[in-house]
Amino acid sequence: MELLLQFVTSGILLGGVYALVALGWVLIYKCSGVLNLAMGELTLIGAYVCLQLYTWFVPVLGITFGFIIALLGTLITGFVLGVLTEHFFLRKMIGEPILAVIMVTVGISFFFRGIVFSIWGTDIRVFNPAVFDITPYSLGNLVISQVNLWAFFAAMILLVIFVAFFKYTRWGLSMQACADDEMAALSLGVSAKFVYAIAWAIAFMAAGVGGTFLGNINGLNIQVSHLGLLVLPAVVLGGLNSIPGAIVGGIVIGLLQNLADGYISQFTPGGVKEVAPFIFMVIFLLFKPFGFWGWERIERV
Amino acid sequence: MSTTWLPCGTYHQSYVKDHGWWQTSFVYGKMTLLVIVLFIIIPVFCGDYLLSIAYKIGYTILAALGVQLLIGYCGQITLGHAAFVAVGSYTSAMLILYVPWPNFLFSAGLVYPISMIAAGFAAGLWSVLFGLPSARVKGFYLIMTTMAAQWITVPLVITQYVSRIGGRGHYFSLPPGTISIGPWAIDSDRKIYYLMIVLVCLCLLAMANLLRSRVGRAWIAIRDNDIAAETLGVNIVWYKLVAFFVAGFIAGIAGSFWISALYFVSPEHFEFFYSLWWVGVILIGGVGSLHGVVFGAMFMVLVEEILRNGLVAMGGWMPELMLVGKFDYFRDSAFGLAIILFLIYEPNGISYRYWQIKNYFNLWPFSY
Repeated sequence: MELLLQFVTSGILLGGVYALVALGWVLIYKCSGVLNLAMGELTLIGAYVCLQLYTWFVPVLGITFGFIIALLGTLITGFVLGVLTEHFFLRKMIGEPILAVIMVTVGISFFFRGIVFSIWGTDIRVFNPAVFDITPYSLGNLVISQVNLWAFFAAMILLVIFVAFFKYTRWGLSMQACADDEMAALSLGVSAKFVYAIAWAIAFMAAGVGGTFLGNINGLNIQVSHLGLLVLPAVVLGGLNSIPGAIVGGIVIGLLQNLADGYISQFTPGGVKEVAPFIFMVIFLLFKPFGFWGWERIERV
Repeated sequence: MSTTWLPCGTYHQSYVKDHGWWQTSFVYGKMTLLVIVLFIIIPVFCGDYLLSIAYKIGYTILAALGVQLLIGYCGQITLGHAAFVAVGSYTSAMLILYVPWPNFLFSAGLVYPISMIAAGFAAGLWSVLFGLPSARVKGFYLIMTTMAAQWITVPLVITQYVSRIGGRGHYFSLPPGTISIGPWAIDSDRKIYYLMIVLVCLCLLAMANLLRSRVGRAWIAIRDNDIAAETLGVNIVWYKLVAFFVAGFIAGIAGSFWISALYFVSPEHFEFFYSLWWVGVILIGGVGSLHGVVFGAMFMVLVEEILRNGLVAMGGWMPELMLVGKFDYFRDSAFGLAIILFLIYEPNGISYRYWQIKNYFNLWPFSY
């Protein structure tokens, strides 16, 4: 029972980070209809940028401020990269068939991965000195590592900010309008290009922060981009165009991963943790082809 | 098949003739020339390095053929094809290594051909298993299930379970002489090339013939509009599964061929990267065209080799470029950029250009 509780807590904490990355994915899909397979690389690039900034700033500013500044720097870099990516690669693909758009994102993912690894190499890198204290908090019998807790909090704060942005600001409202009906939004004076750019910028920022914390938890190498790919089962679970769905999906995937790791992987030689979300997703899709809250598409011939 | 332009004065009076292979005497000449070049000139006059590039192209053609069938002809987007190639490869290797074949089969050199066919069937059935969700889902959700095929097959089943058979836990190497067809042991680049060219020709011919049959027309109908196809009486679930089976079968053949070239199998030849790579091949070559597979494979492999040689040449000035693994990232970036640029500037692929050039000469000098 204690063990279960332990798995559940750490699963939810980890799931918070996935939820943040999944949110970025869903925003892009909702606003511009692009199914983005480059999410893993977006997390990777954010994480490496943050690591680089951190190693530059720590000797000057100390650990805490150094990390905060590095995180802010990651957000700014993410914003710029997002706008640039959208402008150079995705804008020209508006209205093309789904396979073409998906493969452009695949192309983007290879392009970025190549660049990241030729700059930073593939060896595992850690944030040095460690950002968070290694001694875990304990709550009764429950042990919670500080990294996970802070990652969860940061993810939640950013989630709230992004959702509030989406709901209450003028830009967010134009994004919603675009997601709902692009033609109508265009005729009311919403600039679709601007909306797409913002969506990509937000996705890059969310993925960057997510990647930073994933890198803090396990160290930083190509594995982080695989973790970034795990948002795909998360968004499929929640339904492609639902923001609450993305959050719930992310948390469920984190939970599932931890439970699979805790209970199943002792009976197998290994590898279950990474694959469990995908297996679950395939079975789930057979029963609910549009996820929990996705819009069912009605087709006409 | 694109429209065929015929010389003046040649007419077709039946559907069968319209779809015939040998429509004009020019085609006879062209095909004879092609056969002479492929079967005699290239293997006799090319060195081992060029032959090895040639059979790499052949492997890419075989592997991408299934992707082309699924994406280009049946409209089922797949991002997990490396899984099926891996299944084929491993089935073949396992059958050769761990099944106590009777001696006369070995001496007759039948083990490898048998294992190749078995690999095709195993990969085909595995592919059908992951094609089952296509009955319910499509579009992006189907992409996700095929991706799941990749993640379940290669990192889990093959790396964690199959690789442990025999207690090695890593890759399997095949002892020399185990891969032989009839009296010929496949042990030199030239023999691998011949095996490759025979397989590629057979598979391309089989595919082209399948595509002009009832099954092929059903696939194309499903690709163009599956609901309309269903209302016209096409059993879409059945034909989708047939498409998955055939694509998996060819992938299995490709995988089984690849062990003859490498003499070992290891999971790292079937990573997710390769699934995407083969989709890239057909996108660059042209979606929905068998020529596209060939052109795309040639383009990708040749560009990769040129990049590799260029980097080696540049390594003289910049030694850090020669570090192990650097080439892979360089190639990744170039591959990504190539896909993006092709999709933006030439979405129809190389085969469309080829078709245009061909038409220009067919209609020359009165191209109006």
